[in-house]
Amino acid sequence: MKALMFRVALAFAALFLANSHGFAQAPPLRNDQIDIAYVPPTGPDYQTIYQGLQARKVLEELRAFLAPLKLPRKIMVEVKQCGGLEELYQPGQPVVICYEYVAELQKLAAGIPADGSGAMGVTREDAVVGAFIQAVLQQTASAVFDVLDTPIWGREEDAADKLAAFLMLQFGPDAARKLMLGASYFFAASNRTWTGVDFSDEQGTEAQRYYNYLCIAYGFDPKLFGDFYDGQGNATSNGQTVVLPPSREFWCPKEYTDEKWAFDTQILPHVDLNLLQQVLSQDWLKPYTGP
Amino acid sequence: MMESRTSVWKRRLRRATMAAVAIGAALGVAQARAQTTTPAPSTPASTTSTPAPTTAAPTPTLDNAQIQIFYSPPQSSYLQPLYQRLRERQYLEQLKKFLSPLIIPPGITLKITTKECGTVNSWWSGRQDGLFLCYEWTDYAERVAPEVPTKNGMTHEDAILGAFLQVTFHELGHAMFDIYEVPIFGREEDAADQMAGFILSQFGPDVARRTFPGVVYIWRQLATSDGKWTQDDFSDIHGYPLQRAYNYLCMAYGAMPAEFQYVVDNGYLPKERASQCGREFVQIRHAFAKTIYPHIDVAKMKVVQSTQWLLPEGSEIPPK
Repeated sequence: MKALMFRVALAFAALFLANSHGFAQAPPLRNDQIDIAYVPPTGPDYQTIYQGLQARKVLEELRAFLAPLKLPRKIMVEVKQCGGLEELYQPGQPVVICYEYVAELQKLAAGIPADGSGAMGVTREDAVVGAFIQAVLQQTASAVFDVLDTPIWGREEDAADKLAAFLMLQFGPDAARKLMLGASYFFAASNRTWTGVDFSDEQGTEAQRYYNYLCIAYGFDPKLFGDFYDGQGNATSNGQTVVLPPSREFWCPKEYTDEKWAFDTQILPHVDLNLLQQVLSQDWLKPYTGP
Repeated sequence: MMESRTSVWKRRLRRATMAAVAIGAALGVAQARAQTTTPAPSTPASTTSTPAPTTAAPTPTLDNAQIQIFYSPPQSSYLQPLYQRLRERQYLEQLKKFLSPLIIPPGITLKITTKECGTVNSWWSGRQDGLFLCYEWTDYAERVAPEVPTKNGMTHEDAILGAFLQVTFHELGHAMFDIYEVPIFGREEDAADQMAGFILSQFGPDVARRTFPGVVYIWRQLATSDGKWTQDDFSDIHGYPLQRAYNYLCMAYGAMPAEFQYVVDNGYLPKERASQCGREFVQIRHAFAKTIYPHIDVAKMKVVQSTQWLLPEGSEIPPK
């Protein structure tokens, strides 16, 4: 477990910290409309995760990443012990990332072969990085919709999911692949079986979210994500189809274009383009080299 | 005892008639109610004590040259009665009148066609070909609708009515999203369901009570008859039918919690989801107000509001 924690710690670092020298030559990026808090866990179980996130300034990095966004109201983002894997965003309430979710990522990542021979070649680090960023951006997207009074057609949780995916695709081909593979892996890795009343959930099934991610990625760049569609939809892993079926592939260019249109018309007017260029020029997946 | 073929068709014809009449009626009511829930332009109050002379504006007619309608004759004989009934009841003519307040951008024509599709479906085929409403969908609803009222009072006719209204407004949702270039952050098929649910919720409690259970019933039927969904099936752009059933229940409860409290009390809608339905409905209403309402001709809307659409059961065919 220690070795895994080390890997996870590296992943978080790679994710967010990009460490201090990464910003040495650039003006500091910080969105003052975003408040952050690391809430100490109530017991010993999540102390390591709490300390790790705090030491690596994960929330400070999120605040830097969102620097270009002009928000009319403050958004509070906190990491804490929730008593469950997640707390979905409620209007006017904080964005919450749960220690329990991070622990779950660690657990699931342990099931990935160390040599990267898992489904679609995803590595442990990619899986944790992608899934963690997906969760943070998805939750934050819900808050951004709320604060910007954005008109949302479709289920809000899906909307936040798709906006998170859209953002993850904007950071260059290497980062986009790592992030999308990692996020998708965790959707696929869920072994939850949905029956009956489960379908009343306001969130889609993990399988639906998985294919949503494959589709928006493939629609974004069918060459970069060419392995997400094999022309027949019959590539399998552990007995499950892991690529897009032709019936869905048909829609993917439109799904990405529609998401971009929504972003361009509803979010981009609230973005400082100069700061956006700074954000896009950063290497957000730079390896962590320690404090 | 089996019914004779003739009596079956007579019964089908009667039921289809009821559905068609109610549809024409419901359309207008929906629009009128929508007006009351979306922000209307305000007029500054006069500062003078003497009312200024006013000139009565001509009453606009409920027409829209950019909406075209077509009844395509079915090849299959079993769909002929439905086709005939829709024509006689002027379903599309009423729909066109109801939609006439829509301000459609220049160069775009909204085509609406009823036809035999070869599949239980309906779809928006883009600006060139327009909207196709398939006879088979209503025929399917007829076949799976319960023969006797359910314990909650939903009748055979309610199920058909709900299914027909749902598919009409769902596909019109796609049409409006396309024509008005509406930004959609979520999944478009869910968005189109929300459009349908929002319009259905604007009919008032009586119509909502009669239509929503029918919609939910049809989707629950499809969840049963569609077989067990596996992981791969979740790649579909549509939600699983049971998800759609719960979404419609949630919209109904979110719009009219008092009217639909029984769906929570009886366990049809879990409390955990029910607690979110008010918020979900506000989200939909907000999206409608921001993205659709600006494309509505208010003067025509007032005429639509004053039109009697809700024809009672057994009423005569509307005059041409």
